[in-house]
Amino acid sequence: MNTALKEYTASIDYGISSARTEIDRFIIPAVTIFIALLLFFFMLFPMWSILQLSFFKGGQFGISNFTLANFHKYFTTSYTLKALWHSLYISTVTTIIVIVIVFFFAYAMARTTISGKTFFRNIIMMPLIAPSIVQALALIYLFGRNGLITAHLLKIDWNIYGSVGIIFSEVLYCLPHAFVILYTTLSAVDIRLDEAAESLGATPFKVFTRITLPSAKYGIFSAAALTFNLTITDFGNPVVIGGNYNVLATEIYAQVTNLYRFDLGATISIILLVPSLMAFMLNYYVSRKTFSMISGAAKPVIPPSRPLQKVSYTLYCYLVAFSIIVIFATVIIGSFVKIWPYDWSLTLDHYNFPSIGGYSAIYTSVWVSLIVGICGSFITLVAGYVMETRKPFFKQFIYLLSVMPAAIPGLVMGLGYILAFNKPYYFFYGTPWIIVINIIICNFTLGILSSISNLRNIDPSVEEAAISLGGDTIRTFFRIIFPLSRVAFFQNFVYFFMRSMTTISAVIFLVSATVHLAAIEIIMLDNDGWTASANAMCTCIIVIVLIMLGVLQIVAKKTGGRPEGLAAEI
Amino acid sequence: MSKKLALENVSKHFGSLIAVNNVSIDIEPGEFLCFLGPSGCGKTTILRMITGFEQVTSGAIVYDGKVINDVIPQKRDFGIVFQSYALFPNMTVTQNVAFGLKMRKMPKKLIDERVTEILALIGLTGWESHYPSQLSGGQQQRVALGRAIAIKPNVLLLDEPLSALDAKIRVRLRTVIKRLQEELGITMIYVTHDQEEALALSDRVVIMRDGEFMQIGSPWEIYKQPKSSFIAEFVGTSNFIPGTKKNEKIQFGQLEFAVAGIENVEEEKIYLAIRPENIEMVDVTISAEDCIPSNVVEVTAEVINFLGAIVRITFILEEEEMLVDLPEKEFEKINLKRKDLLKLYFPPEAFHVYTELFRKLI
Ligand SMILES: Nc1ncnc2c1ncn2[C@@H]1O[C@H](COP(=O)(O)OP(=O)(O)O)[C@@H](O)[C@H]1O
Ligand SMILES: [Mg+2]
Repeated sequence: MNTALKEYTASIDYGISSARTEIDRFIIPAVTIFIALLLFFFMLFPMWSILQLSFFKGGQFGISNFTLANFHKYFTTSYTLKALWHSLYISTVTTIIVIVIVFFFAYAMARTTISGKTFFRNIIMMPLIAPSIVQALALIYLFGRNGLITAHLLKIDWNIYGSVGIIFSEVLYCLPHAFVILYTTLSAVDIRLDEAAESLGATPFKVFTRITLPSAKYGIFSAAALTFNLTITDFGNPVVIGGNYNVLATEIYAQVTNLYRFDLGATISIILLVPSLMAFMLNYYVSRKTFSMISGAAKPVIPPSRPLQKVSYTLYCYLVAFSIIVIFATVIIGSFVKIWPYDWSLTLDHYNFPSIGGYSAIYTSVWVSLIVGICGSFITLVAGYVMETRKPFFKQFIYLLSVMPAAIPGLVMGLGYILAFNKPYYFFYGTPWIIVINIIICNFTLGILSSISNLRNIDPSVEEAAISLGGDTIRTFFRIIFPLSRVAFFQNFVYFFMRSMTTISAVIFLVSATVHLAAIEIIMLDNDGWTASANAMCTCIIVIVLIMLGVLQIVAKKTGGRPEGLAAEI
Repeated sequence: MSKKLALENVSKHFGSLIAVNNVSIDIEPGEFLCFLGPSGCGKTTILRMITGFEQVTSGAIVYDGKVINDVIPQKRDFGIVFQSYALFPNMTVTQNVAFGLKMRKMPKKLIDERVTEILALIGLTGWESHYPSQLSGGQQQRVALGRAIAIKPNVLLLDEPLSALDAKIRVRLRTVIKRLQEELGITMIYVTHDQEEALALSDRVVIMRDGEFMQIGSPWEIYKQPKSSFIAEFVGTSNFIPGTKKNEKIQFGQLEFAVAGIENVEEEKIYLAIRPENIEMVDVTISAEDCIPSNVVEVTAEVINFLGAIVRITFILEEEEMLVDLPEKEFEKINLKRKDLLKLYFPPEAFHVYTELFRKLI
């Protein structure tokens, strides 16, 4: 004890290097400016280009050039105008169906004691691992002109192309997104309210309409807004199954790729932006309310459900799960049989991709996704850290910039990228790098929000302790903050990787003769009549995403992080 | 080794809220100084301004003769111990203690030596490779202490370091902290809302309220000569007697108390404070002939609380509820029961005289 003390007082002092602290002054401003510039240049600038082209003659900004001619043309051409009504109709119907289906599914997960919940929860998340085209491909195989069920089993003439097909595929695509929100809401709302009402003699129906529904209303609004937004901005499903039934997203694509009418494409983008922006803002507004309701209160135990209730909810959940499984099974099986549904002999022929992309597209997709995963999760973590704990000068402004990407449909952003960067001096245009940047920016919002919510769980004193001990920003970040955010980092990595493997709308305008991506190849293959190969490509993506999820599950377990199910990924 | 630290007219505003209002103090090298005050009075804010995590709104923080308002926290060389320990959960005990030394690029060999010394000082030899989550709260706070003193700070700042711990461990760690301070000769600035802790540890105590310093003095001064009724109430316990000054006596209902030192008091409305242990029990702790008759009252014991070394008796005097403390040994002799009559004596010199009353709301 005393010798320790003597040595303590005798030992030499080391100071903090001045150079380091001098550099440290510039780190936070530099990073802040970098993030602001990133969002300015790769989000605001492309969006500005779209505004310019749609509102100004020849895309030349200036008071005298201001014109509404494009909009006039849009609204007076009945074919293009129809796309707007179609989009609104599809999105409204889809939203209603999704909310009803998911509400009872989430109710079963959060409020009943049925068994097999883990299975159900994993199944309903499955649509996330495939491009939003898998539903349309499967539905065509089942209910299309040569559909297994329509043409073959029932031998009827009806087929699913058009609005019905779009609605069905969008419903199946939106299930996981709505589920996450409604499940969170229903788990958080105090279950004892229901019990209290029931013990006072209210009928189950009354309890449901008077207590359960109202208490979940913010969650319902939020899920509805999100579903509406996802549906109206989706491109993959309507382009495959829509046939002649045009929606805004497919119309933008048609104007740009088939007719080279960039100005009309930009104009329709603005028109698409309005409802999707409104849905986004509604979602943003109510989800704040939802989260303020979800306090850290302990979850009460769910009381055992009545047998009849249990049976019917179990059946119901199996039905929903079955529909999703059928979709995936159809696409996967479809990729291995000779001629669906005539010749069921197994073959790998469809995996000899006839298009120019082929396996190189898969290869490009994988490494683009890896880079997107690493860079995206790292940048959003750094950005979250700078904004949340270091509170830079224009924090609010950067925060606003970071939530904006979620409001911008991928297709619109992609078009903006062409308009903004298709110039010889933007050396990255036409390379995979612009795709990397585009995907990161398009998914920036969710990445940064999950980083921030994770950083909020770290005791601010921990960082202050590091600083008071002489830690500069960089070393504090890498030695303390980064290790403590590991789990969030992995989750964000998976999220970015998955989005990058499966996104269609964001990148469809950015692939080129030399750069192919697997998800886009599906559309190309399907377009050229190689439907089975499209299924095969889709299967490849699903398998790769599943492998990545498995690998990360193992890594997360090894490094002591909580093993997270798919449910944690969005 | 230590240098002088001073606050000069320091204020801190958060928007319209004034968290610290124009305070000044010189802190002597090697001193143990406590900031004591109810929660929300600005203690943490003062500490954070000294460490550099919060900028002063006005005034100066002076260290070793230089204004350090703009010096970044890394350069201030002040150690900090947090209420929440704030250990690095991803590092072992050794790595935690070594963190500050690594930041200073100390050679590995010297770091190892220093860490060994520190662990010996804080009594955690043998726990080197444990992670914080494997330690008890008391052990974690020891690591936090060790980590802070490892960089040999000139000033150690502690923000309610013990308030998250059990009473027993709290008292034990208190001694550890006090001993470290005396042996290492570091200036320690200690923030707490626990008056017992403040009185037990400090050379000087600063009583704070609403961002202002109410009194600065030794624990003895604070306890024996509270400058305001707020302090009389906040530090220790006091009975308050609202009275009126008449003929050099203080009238309180039917009673007229003789009170020492009221000759120069101008105001008519007066508040007397007297600590429960300073009220005597006639014929038990004081003999009847030593009492001034006007200061003797007869009351009924309403509640009797056995607190260990003392027994606290609640009685009602002129509709005011009051307390008197009796050493347990004396209490044993008289065999007092509830509703028994008591004869109490209020010595004139035991009163503190205030012209305004502060009462805690709870
Ligand atoms: N960062 C801040 N922003 C706004 N108000 C603050 C901030 N920090 C402290 N305050 C306010 O300043 C006052 C003093 O707080 P604090 O110094 O933490 O008190 P104590 O440590 O004595 O409990 C409180 O009213 C608190 O709400
Ligand atoms: Mg405090």
